[in-house]
Amino acid sequence: MAKWKPLDQMTYLGKGYARLDGPGKASGAVKYTYDLKLPGMLYGALLSSPHPAATIKRIDASAALALPGVKAVLTDVHPTGTLRYAGEEVAAVAATSPEIAADALERIKVEYDVLPFVVDLETAMKPEAPRVYAEQSNVREPRVESEGDLAAAFAQAAVIVEGTYRTQVQVHACLEVHGSVAKWEGDELIVWDSTQGVYASRDGIAKFLNIEQSKVRVICDYMGGGFGSKLQAGRYSVIAARLAKATGAPVKLMLSRPQDSISAGNRPNLIAEIKAGATRAGKLIAFSAKTYGTAGIGNNARPALPLAYDVPNSRTEHYDVYTNAGAARAFRAPGCPQASFVMEQVMDELAEKLNLDPLDFRLQNDSNETRQQQWKMAAARFGWSKRAPRPNASRGVIKRGMGLGAAVWWPGGRGTQAQMTILPDGGIEVRCGTQDIGTGTRTLVAAVAAEELGVPIASIKAMIGDTEYPYSGASGGSTTAPSVAPAIKNVAEKAKDKLTEVAAQHFGAARTEVQLADGRAFVKGNAKNALSWKQLCALFGTMPLVVHGEWVEGLSSAGVAGCQFAEVEVDTETGVVTVLRMLAVQDCGLVLNRLTAESQVIGGVIQGISYALYEDRLMDPLTGVLINPTFENYKIVGALEMPKIEAIIYDQPERGVIGIGEPPTIPTAAAIANAVYHATGKRMRALPMTPDRVLAALHS
Amino acid sequence: MQDQNESPVPIHDTAESPPAEEPSSKISRRHFLKLSGGGAVGTVILTAGVHAKAAALPPDAEVFSGSVSLQLKVNGQRRSVTVEPRTTLLSALRNQLEVTGCKEVCNRGECGACTVLVNGKPVLACMMLALDAAGQEIVTVEGLVQNGKLDPVQQAFVDHDALMCGFCTPGFVMSVRALLDRNPNPTEAEVRQAVAGNLCRCGTYPRVFEAALAAAQTAGKRG
Amino acid sequence: MFDFELVNPKTLESVPALLSRNWGETMLLAGGTDVLDLLKERLAQPQRLINLKSIPGLSYIKAGDGLEIGALTTIAEIAENAEVRQNYAALAEAAESIATPQLRNMGTLGGNLCQRPRCWYFREKDLICLKKGGELCFAVEGLNKYHCIFGGGPSFIVHPSDAAPALMAMGARLDLLSGTGRRSLALAEFYQLPEDNLMRENVLGPNELISAVKVPAPAAGTKSTYLKFREKQSHDFAIVSVAAVLQMEGKVCQQARLVLGGVAPIPWRVPAAEAELQGKTLTAAVLAKAAEAATANAIPLSQNGYKVQLTKVMVRRALEKLVK
Repeated sequence: MAKWKPLDQMTYLGKGYARLDGPGKASGAVKYTYDLKLPGMLYGALLSSPHPAATIKRIDASAALALPGVKAVLTDVHPTGTLRYAGEEVAAVAATSPEIAADALERIKVEYDVLPFVVDLETAMKPEAPRVYAEQSNVREPRVESEGDLAAAFAQAAVIVEGTYRTQVQVHACLEVHGSVAKWEGDELIVWDSTQGVYASRDGIAKFLNIEQSKVRVICDYMGGGFGSKLQAGRYSVIAARLAKATGAPVKLMLSRPQDSISAGNRPNLIAEIKAGATRAGKLIAFSAKTYGTAGIGNNARPALPLAYDVPNSRTEHYDVYTNAGAARAFRAPGCPQASFVMEQVMDELAEKLNLDPLDFRLQNDSNETRQQQWKMAAARFGWSKRAPRPNASRGVIKRGMGLGAAVWWPGGRGTQAQMTILPDGGIEVRCGTQDIGTGTRTLVAAVAAEELGVPIASIKAMIGDTEYPYSGASGGSTTAPSVAPAIKNVAEKAKDKLTEVAAQHFGAARTEVQLADGRAFVKGNAKNALSWKQLCALFGTMPLVVHGEWVEGLSSAGVAGCQFAEVEVDTETGVVTVLRMLAVQDCGLVLNRLTAESQVIGGVIQGISYALYEDRLMDPLTGVLINPTFENYKIVGALEMPKIEAIIYDQPERGVIGIGEPPTIPTAAAIANAVYHATGKRMRALPMTPDRVLAALHS
Repeated sequence: MQDQNESPVPIHDTAESPPAEEPSSKISRRHFLKLSGGGAVGTVILTAGVHAKAAALPPDAEVFSGSVSLQLKVNGQRRSVTVEPRTTLLSALRNQLEVTGCKEVCNRGECGACTVLVNGKPVLACMMLALDAAGQEIVTVEGLVQNGKLDPVQQAFVDHDALMCGFCTPGFVMSVRALLDRNPNPTEAEVRQAVAGNLCRCGTYPRVFEAALAAAQTAGKRG
Repeated sequence: MFDFELVNPKTLESVPALLSRNWGETMLLAGGTDVLDLLKERLAQPQRLINLKSIPGLSYIKAGDGLEIGALTTIAEIAENAEVRQNYAALAEAAESIATPQLRNMGTLGGNLCQRPRCWYFREKDLICLKKGGELCFAVEGLNKYHCIFGGGPSFIVHPSDAAPALMAMGARLDLLSGTGRRSLALAEFYQLPEDNLMRENVLGPNELISAVKVPAPAAGTKSTYLKFREKQSHDFAIVSVAAVLQMEGKVCQQARLVLGGVAPIPWRVPAAEAELQGKTLTAAVLAKAAEAATANAIPLSQNGYKVQLTKVMVRRALEKLVK
């Protein structure tokens, strides 16, 4: 099985170094999909349904088409004509400027048959509620999982807690909206897509245009955030391709910010009715959850309960509920932050009833050996021992509290291929059809190749984000690093073998006698008589060295642990929660780049703070529209709200590479909620913990 | 958990139309929704005066309508563009001059991603008309690079990993640059205030603070 | 944005004639931070935009016997002005609290006073609410956590300006110019409730504009402050704000002005609370009583009751800050 060399022999891995595309991003030189302007390119725009439920009776595009500068109008972009949420695509235009495209949308006349709608989860569950899908109930068949003997366990439990918890819908709010630029060359289509998976995008586009995959090339050089919402091909890509076909010109179609908030995915909400029991000795033995969530017109709002803790007797029963809202999509640790908010508070409630410290209660119920160590390490560093033993211990109006929560994540990686080309002048190209969604994948490709070849990272040209390159999967589920790094090491190893062979021939030595190090080749013991990298590569003549590699076993693994601690201040007169500091400990196996790994953890914590205190997608029950689709009222945490955040990467190099994208955002809201309880003695059972909710809890 | 990562809905869903019923809401939507299509239908505000004639013009006023050619001074260069009066500076920079360092994110003044310096002050290109920027010194993130060398602020962002997806980065760089131009030795609190109008979704704020303070150490003032 | 013509006038005097006498046909452009938003959402569709920035001399801060601020002065200039910071603290603090650094560099005082409501129903272009000629104020039965607790009906918007409550508390007057000439108007008489005029938040005529704002010199012993509560500190409108101006003689309050922002369709003066302060030694008990009086007439909607509590706390804290 393949193995990484020891950490102390590494030049890059395990250490921190700047990302390679940093200068291009910081200077505005690199082009994102949204930045592209191809010769003759037209600007697309989508007309959205103003109605949350309707059928399209008729669309008259003649006035739009008559507008100078308008090159095409598509009136059949909706596959069925039955609209299920306000903001769904109804028609599309292509015009010579974005301004004219917007004018054209205003001139499309649509006649609708307006239908009844429901946007609220609980209203949608009522038998008399309008149906989102005519042929089926809004409440889907439950998904039930059970283990052990729950009734007996509750009978045995010394303490039982019960409660109902609620979380909100969160939108991804990627700064680069979803969108594509499409260009036909004959019957072949090139799509520049803001995507987390060039191959996934290509396959989807080919399928929906009903053309061969080989006729579609998808490129994503740089993209402005995805967080799970850009894992699949979008309707907009297909529409851009159709507009390009209709006009014979390249077309850029980016969603508007409101369209992005409405139709490009979200994290579903949750209502969780919980009952949990523990023994006097402090063992969690019984857990039952009846949960409801809406993924809008889509499926799977299931929370990952009971998340991090071991419960021998449990039953979870989950109901997905349809509402007239945009479909959910995977969002950074799907199902987990909401489950964590519930579970960690339940754990604290049980601990309190048992008169146990919340940390001690966790240590007794957490079988993850890594996290056992992390809990202790983090607690010491955070100063957990200084925590007041009772809640609501601060005097005065401003109260302080501490809380904690656990992070988990499961998937590993596999299935990536790569190609390395070493050019006669010494240049090194690595091709891999992965993509960099902001996590530093481009840099890791170069670093792993450089590490293996013993050359400086700057000498590697990392070529990613193109379906012309060897296959790699979509960047989701924290699978990218463990999928890509092994393939790059593998291809570099193979190149190194070939180079060694060439050098051996040159020296007239046995291959085992030849060493490649520090960018030079020499016979062992005769380093003075070395070939420089350029001299070595010149031996190829005119033909470059091309090798292929793939993901191999042994260099990566799955499953990580982490924990977070929060300290907050609560203004009991205004309900304002201020996070003072956060500590996050997270493992990710072998650290590929300590700088970017820490950035990932900090970023996860910040998204968690935002989820905990500010973000809330609001559907208006009266009109059925998403009432806060822009950043004015969809509130995202900003610079002035930043606490002190300490990120500690817990090294386990022996485990190989593991992804780190999702877990750091899981326990943040939970840790903050527990800290709010500790500060005030009032349990926050709903997210986000906005001043109105906190005041209501304080006065309850 | 794997199933959660699958697409919950196909691109083309195939469900049938539900039966037509009366809206359950007390108010019919027809009463409060703008009639779709037709730019100037429906409301007092929207229709007011669209057909009426505005007052006559005084002789000394400049009037711009239709296509207007103008020059913008962008990063020290005079660039010719043809715009409409309604064209924003952001649209002119990005769509015509292909100066795409200033990003379009919200297009409503809510995120700071299109921050540029106009006469040395950070402003939002999405909330300014291109015509209004004529004759003024416009500096975008590209303009901070001198002879191929990054500005100390840009270099500090790279060194401190104050960027992830990078889409907010040019806006942050411009806000920090503007701060250091008027206050070469800011406190962290002043840095926070200076970037309070810039939104980041990946979560780079603490790194931005570090980068700004480090840049102040290396070269607070330009030139 | 629909297409429009942009006119760059050279003199202030030529502006009224450029403005139509009919609402909606023409609009003034100053900082643009609200106007461009309205145009982009097609909530306003004027044929002509009159760009006040082309007129020289409208951006200034003159300090002497009182303060005179040109309508085109940016919010940033006001926030940074030494004289304003020294003697008109409430205005400086209000200006500092507005939006973001970038928007403060663009937005003007005149524009800030004339901005349209931020109500999410009003700003949603597909919804025709009461203020857009529709039949309903959706906030009544809909989502109303940001709506008004005073002065509501038939519309329940709040006035979003931070500068207005501060200026009103300091007794500011406006210089207005229209086709019929100049007039001076107390800021307190500038705003109008929805019950008086549903369509417009102030009394400015269709061919009228603000040319300057004048603030009387504070009497000896005057202190002022502006306290703004928002859900997040980085770019947010006020949920509740308080402008407090106290004229003190020793520990006794001679005169008090309290104007609230973010809680009513107009900047909301609270005379009952002022009365609790005037002529009294400002003890903690007096301040608490004034805070209580400030919300005596509040009528919250279904989801904004928390604003009543916040208003009390903000009023008390603003006063405490001045008394300390």
